[in-house]
Amino acid sequence: MAELQIERARELARASLANLEANRRRIDDLNVYPVPDGDTGTNLTLTVRAVVEALEKSSAGGQAAVAKELSRAALMGARGNSGVIFSQIVRGFADVLAEHEEIDAAVLSQAFRSASDAAYRAVRRPVEGTMLTVVREMAEEGEKPDVLALPKTEFLRRVVARGEEAVARTPELLAVLKDAGVVDAGGAGLLEITRGLAASAAGEAVPEPVADQPTVGFDAIHLEESRYRYCTVFVVEGEGLDAEELERELEQLGDSLLVVGDASALKIHVHTDDPGAALGLGTRVGAIEGIEIANMQRQAAEREERLEASAAATLDLPTLETGVVVVAAGAGNRRLFESYGATRVIEGGQSMNPSTADIVAAIEATPATEVIVLPNNGNVILSAEQAIGLASKPARVVASRSQQAGLAAMARYVASISADENEAAMTAALADVATGEVVRASRTVELDGIDVRAGAWLGLVDEVAVAAGDDFDEVATAVVERVLGGYRELLTLLTGTEEPDLDVLLARVRSAHPLAEIETHAGGQPHYPLLVFAE
Amino acid sequence: MNLTAQNTAIILDSTSDWPEAAERFPNMRVVPLYVRFGDEMFRDHVDLSPHEFYERLRHVTELPSTSQPTPQDFIDAYTAFAAYERIYVLTVSAKLSGTFQSALLAAEEDGGDRVRVVDTATASMAMAMLALAIQRRLEQGTTDDEIDALVDRFRRDNRVVFTVDTLECLQKGGRIGKAQALAGTILNVKPILSVEDGVIVPIARVRGRQKALQEFGRLFMEGTENRPGLHVSIAHADAPEWVDVLTDLVEKARPQAQIDVVATLGAVVGTHAGPGAVGFFWLQD
Repeated sequence: MAELQIERARELARASLANLEANRRRIDDLNVYPVPDGDTGTNLTLTVRAVVEALEKSSAGGQAAVAKELSRAALMGARGNSGVIFSQIVRGFADVLAEHEEIDAAVLSQAFRSASDAAYRAVRRPVEGTMLTVVREMAEEGEKPDVLALPKTEFLRRVVARGEEAVARTPELLAVLKDAGVVDAGGAGLLEITRGLAASAAGEAVPEPVADQPTVGFDAIHLEESRYRYCTVFVVEGEGLDAEELERELEQLGDSLLVVGDASALKIHVHTDDPGAALGLGTRVGAIEGIEIANMQRQAAEREERLEASAAATLDLPTLETGVVVVAAGAGNRRLFESYGATRVIEGGQSMNPSTADIVAAIEATPATEVIVLPNNGNVILSAEQAIGLASKPARVVASRSQQAGLAAMARYVASISADENEAAMTAALADVATGEVVRASRTVELDGIDVRAGAWLGLVDEVAVAAGDDFDEVATAVVERVLGGYRELLTLLTGTEEPDLDVLLARVRSAHPLAEIETHAGGQPHYPLLVFAE
Repeated sequence: MNLTAQNTAIILDSTSDWPEAAERFPNMRVVPLYVRFGDEMFRDHVDLSPHEFYERLRHVTELPSTSQPTPQDFIDAYTAFAAYERIYVLTVSAKLSGTFQSALLAAEEDGGDRVRVVDTATASMAMAMLALAIQRRLEQGTTDDEIDALVDRFRRDNRVVFTVDTLECLQKGGRIGKAQALAGTILNVKPILSVEDGVIVPIARVRGRQKALQEFGRLFMEGTENRPGLHVSIAHADAPEWVDVLTDLVEKARPQAQIDVVATLGAVVGTHAGPGAVGFFWLQD
């Protein structure tokens, strides 16, 4: 029986993934924001792929064990807000499945309800017109007496149909969607996952995964600075595997260590100079598979430079009172965070959200009594909050919503004082700072009352559109004026991979604000030619 | 024994940055530390005024170094105060300098128990403020027990906050951990430091001079009440523009406070703190 259950679970998960992947680009394109947002389709795909991989490697017996594995895999693989909410949906769903050997419409109905409740609990301020609405409406459909009476496959068909309606209605509930003329991306993703599941349950064909899409799973897991050469990932299968013991042994070999799984299968991620030794530890306790080894020193020179700056700060230090894990986008911004003493830097941010597991690993690798996580992106805050709950050492999130806010908070960091004191200073910095950005609009839209044409410059201040037009200097000046707000005196400009010419802007600001201190740095962030903040 | 300003002397080392102590009080004297530029050696505040020091600093490539007074320097000072029955020697934190050791060795040479050497566990103007607090008691008549109690309370309650333009000098002089000095060299950050248990510790960090002033203000408001007996001092290393702002803050926010000393950091403290350093000291007596 056990063999059948796990195999069935694999089929269903693969079908969900296939259907989601087939729609991934479409979902990515649903970004309501006229700038490349968190890439909801990609984040959800990575999250579901983590679930599929876990099931592929799992030998869990019995419904309860399979369900537990599902929850854990979704949680550890969760990326971005949508991924984290989805991981809670999986957990809620799996909690109910765990209690039943036979799955019928009644059990599914309970499972959808449990999934919906878990999703709502996961967010502090639930917003309707999102994935939450879609899962709730699906749960409500499943509780209708006539639907409950249907056989499983029919039940799922009705739930999917209701999900479609819910997705289509999201613009009526959320003005930003309506303004942009799109439906909610997270809701659409959830619908495709459920559609794949329903099709597989009914024995129908699901779309083949699209071949030309890059494999993101592996690249994405290794986002973290390492002084070691090889990123090594593999799975050990066996009996009575001791994750902690393996972790202790692997610790001797390198860093960025992640050992996830249960007694029968462990996924290992480690940065080491000796991948052979790491694999050897695996073969000693079980059979290894899914081996991936990547040489991370392709950008060796750049990394050397970074290490020089931070080596003494991160390597020969005794345990710090407070350490900081930051999520940074762009090599220049990374260096700025490091120069401020960031203990661990995870690359990521807009359109490249780190997973919960990435953040957990960074917290674990931080040699500090307590850790503060700066997510530096609105879409990473939830993952960071999940991660601090999973990490084995005390950690807390200071909810910075942008690179700029993160830098303002980071400036206040002192390693030798308590996390309480650091948190208070950082939170005060977040309250003080005004942030802005100048981007190219990716679609024509009316945003916050401003007409934005695709391809034109768009200026945002604290995430609200304030100016748009073809003249970079005009838009940038408007943004800078707003962030200075007539009283702030310290202005910092961070240029992106696309480096705009700042001469005109700087001349204007200097003449209008002779007392302001102005700093310009090459941040190197993608998507945002100019980030600004003022304190 | 009843201690008075007539039978009790106070000796400070020059890191107190209060060279006029001897001019103001006949029972006070300052023993200089040394600062060395290459082969040239100067007595702090004696052969080299703060002004001359910062002027020199602008034209040298290699940072100066400093050294403690010799025991003989202290013996000479004790001898000069032969007429006094009791001598209190107030030295800079023993964790920052060997001055305390020199003073102690000299006290043994002096024999008897006339000389009492106190590790103030702090530096600069805070030492001057302790000397003034002791002097206020001597003028009323006091005892060793009362002075011991005052010193204990001083160690607990006196507060120093200071900021430097760069942590490089503190790092090169070995006065602060290496790791602390590494952080924040790219962006314009100002560390807010303090002296706790005799060592320099960072307590906060801000960006820009304006925010540093605000942080001084915040710490001062949190740590004080507007009542008589609040003493304040201000010291700066070639950064006089801070003095007016801080004086203004004290006069507006704590009108009952008394400003004891406003001075320029001398060559020895200036060597370690670097130009642009500003210190703000207070003590509720």
